[in-house]
Amino acid sequence: MRGGWHLSLMFALATVLVKTGAADELLPAEKSLEEAIDHYLDARLAKDGVTAAPQANDLNLLRRTMLDLVGRIPTAAEAKAYAASTDANKRVALVDRLMATPAFVRQQAAEIDALLMRGTNQSLKDYVTASLEKNVPWDQMFREMVVGQEGDAEQKGAIKFIRSRAKDTDKLTTDAGVLFFGVNVSCAKCHDHPLVPTWTQEHYFGMKSFFSRTYDVGEFIGEKEYGIVNYKTVQGESKDARLMFLTGEVLTEPESKEPDDNAKKDEKKKLEELKKSKQAPPAAAYSRRARLIEVGLKEGTYPYFARSIVNQLWNRLMGRGLVMPLDQMHDHNQPSHPDLLAWLARDMQTHKYDLRRLMRGIVLSKAYSRTSEWDGSKELPADELFSVAIIRPLTPWQYGTSLRVAAASPEFFPADLKEDELDNRIKQMEGAGRNIAGSLEYPGDDFQVSVDEALLFSNSDKVKNELLRDGKEMLPTKLAEIKERREAMETAIWNIYCRPPADEELAALEQFLHKHEDQPAQAWKQAVWAMLTSGECRFNY
Amino acid sequence: MLNSEIRNSKFEVASRRTFLGASAAAAGLTFAADMTALNALQSPVLANELKKNDKRVILLWLAGGASQLETFDPKPGRPTGGPFKSIQTSVPGVQICELLPKLADRIGKYTAIIRGVDTGNGDHGSAARMMHLGRRDEPSVRYPDLGAMVARELGKADSQVPDYVSFYTATEGRGNAISQSGFLGARYGAMFLTEGNSPPNLRRLEEITDLDHQERADLRRLFSDRFARTRQSASLSSHNEAYSRVRGLMASEKLFDLSQEPTPMRDKYGPTLFAEQCLIARRLVEAGVPFVKVSRAWWDSHGQNFETHLELATELDHVMSTLLDDLQERGLLDHTLVITLSEFGRTPQINASLGRDHFASAWSVTLSGCGIKRGSVHGKSDEDGNKVIEGKVGAPQLFATIFQALGIDHQKNYHVGARPLPLTDPGTQPIREVLA
Repeated sequence: MRGGWHLSLMFALATVLVKTGAADELLPAEKSLEEAIDHYLDARLAKDGVTAAPQANDLNLLRRTMLDLVGRIPTAAEAKAYAASTDANKRVALVDRLMATPAFVRQQAAEIDALLMRGTNQSLKDYVTASLEKNVPWDQMFREMVVGQEGDAEQKGAIKFIRSRAKDTDKLTTDAGVLFFGVNVSCAKCHDHPLVPTWTQEHYFGMKSFFSRTYDVGEFIGEKEYGIVNYKTVQGESKDARLMFLTGEVLTEPESKEPDDNAKKDEKKKLEELKKSKQAPPAAAYSRRARLIEVGLKEGTYPYFARSIVNQLWNRLMGRGLVMPLDQMHDHNQPSHPDLLAWLARDMQTHKYDLRRLMRGIVLSKAYSRTSEWDGSKELPADELFSVAIIRPLTPWQYGTSLRVAAASPEFFPADLKEDELDNRIKQMEGAGRNIAGSLEYPGDDFQVSVDEALLFSNSDKVKNELLRDGKEMLPTKLAEIKERREAMETAIWNIYCRPPADEELAALEQFLHKHEDQPAQAWKQAVWAMLTSGECRFNY
Repeated sequence: MLNSEIRNSKFEVASRRTFLGASAAAAGLTFAADMTALNALQSPVLANELKKNDKRVILLWLAGGASQLETFDPKPGRPTGGPFKSIQTSVPGVQICELLPKLADRIGKYTAIIRGVDTGNGDHGSAARMMHLGRRDEPSVRYPDLGAMVARELGKADSQVPDYVSFYTATEGRGNAISQSGFLGARYGAMFLTEGNSPPNLRRLEEITDLDHQERADLRRLFSDRFARTRQSASLSSHNEAYSRVRGLMASEKLFDLSQEPTPMRDKYGPTLFAEQCLIARRLVEAGVPFVKVSRAWWDSHGQNFETHLELATELDHVMSTLLDDLQERGLLDHTLVITLSEFGRTPQINASLGRDHFASAWSVTLSGCGIKRGSVHGKSDEDGNKVIEGKVGAPQLFATIFQALGIDHQKNYHVGARPLPLTDPGTQPIREVLA
């Protein structure tokens, strides 16, 4: 957001000693995550003299939570039941119930796969899904993605993270740095890092050295036990890179020797044979990638790894990271809430890198639950204060599924539907939603909706056939059957917006339907289209 | 809308729109907290910002790699020369291949030839990417292509016509047809014509009347505005802006309809697909579309180079000449830059199949019209065309020259996160000799 500020802000901060939050100053570790989150956010609000927006209403919060946890809007029946419930504990119960569903795993797998694999032509969805089902800790997933899973001789699992990038070591180095450690070292490739004086070309090529011995052969990857990265400094000097982590720590390793020409020929021949017989090369006795795991997870050092995943999940659920940009988590770019990030990173480390635990804590905080509404006559406080909920574009996956749920007849999702059957029907919607989702752009920072999207929704037969077609399971057909116009209008709004209608909306609909009274079925299709394509459906607010 | 856009745009603060009105400029200043804005506020950049009003680009993309020897840098009589002669152009001392007689008459009036292009990449895919992006791909940054950058710089937020239209031909193949808006986002992506000469989703479906289409859009607006009234978000605004452009863009469909063009004009361009697309390109720039790319394929003449070029260069000669004349007669050429560009040229050596292979060490590009010193020639290859001996030019300089010709500051920065990314790589200089 407000990106124009970043550069000048960073130059200003480059001279400030950054406080990273020493453990003894932090809130006790026994506090719940949601308490810690609200404590630190409220402290910053008080310091800045900003009043937080009130909590969002039940139905707004239900929609937001379901989109984040299970990737879709509530059905009208779910919305009405939630609104009617008088259980004081209903919010916590909702979160825990949603997190126990198969849809939770599907939604999180889709998001994590998009995070890890966007920009490659491969998917880790199967692996991530299986891992999330067992709540595999994030550090273990990191290990499996970088060095491979045990018993995965076919290399079809986690190692695809490396395999899909093995042809381009620079991309692999950059992506691993960004996705696991929250830092983009590629700025230090051709010259020392312009914003982080402590990062030099040595850091970049040191990080690259962890991956430089990785090679691909046919469908598989392997790792050599020799090879040194050589690079040219800005001054034109040629240098051998040392195996160096982001902290500047240089790792000692067994001596390696460049093989002679004959040995190299033999090696090449062996690889050719492996390629022909479609076999994976044997594992290296000494692996630099394994050293990255070791140093990356080492306790007591600057916790890049824990901070990065905290920031990623926070960004996804709150619409903005505690550090922005997400790939600039270094000493010279201060978090909006340094102590909170330190507290959450510590919690991540002491609770086995449990992603569910962090998600649950964020979603149950008051900060997550604030309304996104803001009086337009007053200046909006900075996003980094999290005083008002940030409006987030839906991912193609969320939007595709939600449109299908919204366009389905409420009778397709009756209130008494059994949980299994509900999930089956939702899965149908998810599958069907992918068609439209496939035409949409995955939203990045400062996402702008393209005119292609508006044209697609306005004029393609895809939208007409999938969302507005006739059929007893479709909303427009159902609406045209309802005799009382008022009832039909209320049904439409509940189904699409998951809330009761506003008078203004009823008046507009009434006028539209009245004007097209001669063709009620057609009129309802167009009215449903107008509601489905409005901003309220497109965003998580 | 303007304020929120300025405040929220990651990429730049001082957009062209900022300079269109004093109040808008002041609003821009309030938020001008980054280097871009500070740079942009210094003249002569400010002057350029004002000057570049209504500039347009037509890119003629010669997919597969056109031979410089059979077009703009012939070597007659040399072992590498091939069977075609060279002919005198309207510029004394400047000769081009005899396959281009019409262009030869027009070089002095319209065009600069850049002969010393050395891009060092002979691979179709990555070279084509480089010539679209003006730089090498980088693992961590997805750069926008020329069309997206021009759309960003010259397009208008509320424009009723597309900002960037890209035609590809069946022979080029979609896989090779590069188009990426990169970090600028889909807002500046190409309207891609994948089938026929009309863009997808521009035409109303038959099942809905025009009135219903309009009325449901009005109803949509009502719902959407009600929702947005109590919320502030640049992303949310962009959603409504995109929908508000739909009706205008649909009205622009007639621009793609050649039956609206008088028969004598259609006859002038000729009956080929490339000719038709060039005529549509002219209609588009006339209506205010900032960037149109027309691809002609497939110039990749590993075998039968001379037959291939007899056909393709002859067509290029006729169509490009007609296009330049047409733009000139309508008073558009002073505002419209016409570029011929490929991923690379072709080897001076003629192979056993009488073909020429990929060659990126000494090839040619032309720039015509807007901002160009017409009749100028920059750079020189050696007598056999093996290497550049004078005025070597790479992709970044070429792009800097294009931006300068359009009055766009080629050193201006976009920002991705904290990282400033100039339109062309730092230190790049435009080719002054070909700029007016």
